[in-house]
Amino acid sequence: MTGTWGPGAVRVLAHGIGAQHDLPLSPFYAFAGAFAALFVSFLALGLLWSHSRFKGERAGRPLPAAVQRPADARATRLAARTLGLGAALFVVLWLLLGPADPDRNPAPGAVYVLLWVGLVPASLLLGPVWRPLNPLRTLHLLACRAFRRTPESGRPLPVRLGMWPAAAGLLAFTWLELVAPDPASSTALLVFLGVHAAVHLTGAAVYGAHWFDHADAFEVYSGLLARLSPLGRRPADGRLVVRSPFNGLDATPQLPGLVATVCVMLGSTAYDGFSDAPRWITTVQTSALGRTTTATLGLLAAVALVATLYALCAGATRLVCGGGLPRPLTAFAHSLVPIALGYLVAHYFTLFATEGPRTLALASGADRPEAPEPPLGPGGVATLQVFAIVTGHVLGVIAAHDRSVRLMPPRRAVIGQLPLLVLMIAYTVGGLALLIA
Amino acid sequence: MNRARPARTALALLTAAVLALGAGACGGRATTHHKPGTSHAEDTGSNGRLLKADDGDGNRLRQVDADGAPEVDLAVRPDSEDGWNVHLTVRNFRFTPDSVGGGALAGRGHARLFLDGHPLARVYGAWFHLPESLLRAAGGGTRLTAGLYADDHTAWAVGSAPVRATATLTSASASTDDDTTTTVDVAIRGGKVTPAPGRTEIAKGRTVRLRVRSDHDDVLHVHGYDKEAKLPAGRAVTVTFTADRTGLFEVETHESDLLLTQLVVR
Repeated sequence: MTGTWGPGAVRVLAHGIGAQHDLPLSPFYAFAGAFAALFVSFLALGLLWSHSRFKGERAGRPLPAAVQRPADARATRLAARTLGLGAALFVVLWLLLGPADPDRNPAPGAVYVLLWVGLVPASLLLGPVWRPLNPLRTLHLLACRAFRRTPESGRPLPVRLGMWPAAAGLLAFTWLELVAPDPASSTALLVFLGVHAAVHLTGAAVYGAHWFDHADAFEVYSGLLARLSPLGRRPADGRLVVRSPFNGLDATPQLPGLVATVCVMLGSTAYDGFSDAPRWITTVQTSALGRTTTATLGLLAAVALVATLYALCAGATRLVCGGGLPRPLTAFAHSLVPIALGYLVAHYFTLFATEGPRTLALASGADRPEAPEPPLGPGGVATLQVFAIVTGHVLGVIAAHDRSVRLMPPRRAVIGQLPLLVLMIAYTVGGLALLIA
Repeated sequence: MNRARPARTALALLTAAVLALGAGACGGRATTHHKPGTSHAEDTGSNGRLLKADDGDGNRLRQVDADGAPEVDLAVRPDSEDGWNVHLTVRNFRFTPDSVGGGALAGRGHARLFLDGHPLARVYGAWFHLPESLLRAAGGGTRLTAGLYADDHTAWAVGSAPVRATATLTSASASTDDDTTTTVDVAIRGGKVTPAPGRTEIAKGRTVRLRVRSDHDDVLHVHGYDKEAKLPAGRAVTVTFTADRTGLFEVETHESDLLLTQLVVR
């Protein structure tokens, strides 16, 4: 492939996946997964505890001081900031000066694979890693130093804003990755990164560094996935703790826009699977509306479908519980995070394992490196995909169960979680169906 | 004075034109072996529209509507003794060797073979043996092209492009044994892919033969295997490779950015 073949040549990354896609799932694996999900769901309904067990932020076993000290050290924070800023500078310089051909430019892979997909394992293992790395935070900090302001100073954030900016940012990013006509082109990436930086630096200038906590799409994405990390920080005493992922998940802040953010995560990943189906590709290729418009509508429809199902379910829950439940929509949103994680692992594992090393090889100076062979064969990938989706489902069911026995009156707790259970089964079976398609 | 100059120039041009035309008309018609009423002068009757453009070899193009236009496909297979066996599959077309040199008639004529653009031979039927000596005499090459021509030696054309098919004379296309080959035929007309993009299941290790015909100049790309081929407008291009990696691979065009099919290799 050469760079002279215009926009088409750079479409390779447009599917979110490099030259090779995972094989469609064989129905055997899908049925096995669906049955497992159904079985576990109803088992959970009958057998799980009837009094809430999760303690949220208060849980966890503190790590020894020998671990805590270097993790909290000024040098560590400085190193993380330097690393983040250096990587950002590297990407921007490659985008500005590097070749247009994504086979020779590591920047698109760095954004779509190392950052976007790489945040998933990094956050799962180490917690909200994008917070210390975020180059925009560092820029804001440097600007504050220059103007002799404290970074935290600023107007108080409007309460209703919540995570909405992050939901919008996630939607914009997934649109760029999955729908934009030329997602790997330097121009598209520079425009996106430029607008992203401008919006968030302005937000931070007005509201202070707290702005990034819930408004920066990548911090929120990393933070939500980090809820499932065994490592966490206890807000009460600032200790690093090892904790059950359920406690981390239970402590997900119930902010406005949380539902929207989770729905964008689920919907966009679902669209990514859906957009590989030949029937959808034919629709897009032959649509009178034009490709980008049709694909945009498809992405929005996927997010809207996920959100509508969730809203219906929340309505049903409220109906069943007789209105005693405050904000049922937000109260259970955290239980969708593991399901979204299952989707992400199922869709992006092979991409990360093949395109990640290729991007690193490109960045270290290799010319047109070959992507390595996928580490898992077709059977292994299929097993992993089903396992990821079903595990996400099980974690979601358990998280939702604990939340419902806490919030609902005991007599209604079992029937009250039925709508959510049905919704999760729908998401899981839908996710498996997308892998067959 | 200034106004008179253009007028004089025009007059000179007109004179020159009249002289040239006159000279053309006065030149007597060459006597040939052709039957009366048939000559090398191209027929301009109802059998297609004669275009100014030629096929790159001095034969003018004769354009017909895409509906019912002659079509050709080309398959090559190495001969066990010498050279290649060439098979032409034609649609809406008949070989008429007995009237060659006569007037053009719709859907009739003969085929010509070219090797990397150099004329090789005229073909009057579906099968043709291409000896190695002929390939050597033509200067060698691997890209074999077959074009359809009318009896008056004009090239049948659709959309200003001659009706042609291309095959590659390499060992890769040698294994056309039907037991181990999966053939996928795709045509692109007006941005539409026929048959509609779908999935082709292929057992690992089989030979895949992609035959693609586009009505625009384009580039074909098989992802994963990184096979690429130019798709000249109106010609069937065959890409052959062995499916030795498992996975889902997309076959796309790069200019029009269309998905043609997905190969599911397992």
